[in-house]
Amino acid sequence: MKGITLCLGACLLLIGSGAAWAAERLEITLVADKTNPPSPQMGDHMKFVSVIRNNSTVAAQGVVAWISLIQMDPGHEQPLDLEDWSAHKAVTRTSMAPGEQITVEWPMRLIQAGDYRVVISAVERSTPHIVTSPFIDFHIKRKPVVESQRILPIAIGVPLILGMLTLWRIRKRA
Amino acid sequence: MSPISLIARKESGELLKSGRGLAWLLALSVILSVLSLLLVSNTELSLLDNAQVVYMVMGTITALGALLAVVLGSDAIAGEKERGSLVPLLLAPLSTSDIVLGKMGGQVVAWGVTYLLSLPYLWAVGSSGQNLFEAIAYLALLGMPVVLGFGFYALGLSARFGSVRAALITALITLMLLASPLLLGPGLRQSAIGKVFDAVNPFSAAVNSFDSVVIDSQPLSMQLGRFLVTLIWLVMTLWFARRSVKIAEI
Repeated sequence: MKGITLCLGACLLLIGSGAAWAAERLEITLVADKTNPPSPQMGDHMKFVSVIRNNSTVAAQGVVAWISLIQMDPGHEQPLDLEDWSAHKAVTRTSMAPGEQITVEWPMRLIQAGDYRVVISAVERSTPHIVTSPFIDFHIKRKPVVESQRILPIAIGVPLILGMLTLWRIRKRA
Repeated sequence: MSPISLIARKESGELLKSGRGLAWLLALSVILSVLSLLLVSNTELSLLDNAQVVYMVMGTITALGALLAVVLGSDAIAGEKERGSLVPLLLAPLSTSDIVLGKMGGQVVAWGVTYLLSLPYLWAVGSSGQNLFEAIAYLALLGMPVVLGFGFYALGLSARFGSVRAALITALITLMLLASPLLLGPGLRQSAIGKVFDAVNPFSAAVNSFDSVVIDSQPLSMQLGRFLVTLIWLVMTLWFARRSVKIAEI
């Protein structure tokens, strides 16, 4: 009986701390921009919009929020380096007053085909854990960047024409 | 017709109308074709991989243009000497500048033809990717001073050595040294020596600019310093060529 009571107590403590975790000082929403292509492919531009809000009654100090992109293709799950995808990877605020909210746009250029998940994370100086937005999953369609029907005629045609021209010139001289 | 135009016409005619000149152009096109065909099998390139390919083709075209300029430049004065036609050329009422610029007229045509030859290849590998127009423009803007500089340099060596073979070997060694950034990626050039080498090397300036524009989509303002390096190279080699031909006259 004592054991069960201890267990229940521990569970309540965990639930309590979970509730405290859920009641974050910062709250982040994330939506895809309405102008995004419905069926994006390589080379397209997409934009995500997030609102970061300070829900607490005290100012949040040293707020940093950043975007993360994760490849979700089966067998290729990995976080991506956004260097080539976006120049706008993070925002910082020295202070956010209680109730203050900032809207951040996260543009990106779609570099590679596949399934992706985007998420915004934020931390503030006084909170020892990270706050994240809901995920947005999206798929990027492949766009062929090297097409054999375009390269073959050039790769074969140009030397062929030059070869014929050279032969004609040599024969004419002979 | 001015003496410069006359010499330039003769030089360019040797390239465009002779079987030997056409065979060189054929060889250039075969190299570009092989490079392009190697890419056909890989259809899963990302946009940046594609930009990397365009960058690689641009570097190859610049190197091939410089190679052709080195061959033509090495033959320009020493070849005339070996064929016994240098004395009549020097006795003609022409200034040093007329001879140098006339000889270089042929090289300008050679580079022009190489550049035009490369355009279909650039289009074939890069038209679905990014920054193709910029690639074409920057190849002209930075490729030309680098290539013509190598032509002037080889011409100067040709006048100084009086031997096609000696001029060609020296110019080729210089070309291999300066074109090494094509083989060594930026990561391998991060040492102090590598950075200094990159800062003063016209070939590095050109390929770094190609990288910056085609892969990283950076603006013209970031390329001005590199463009200046290639122009300084062009002016210095022109001065070297003129001085060397003057010495050869004496």
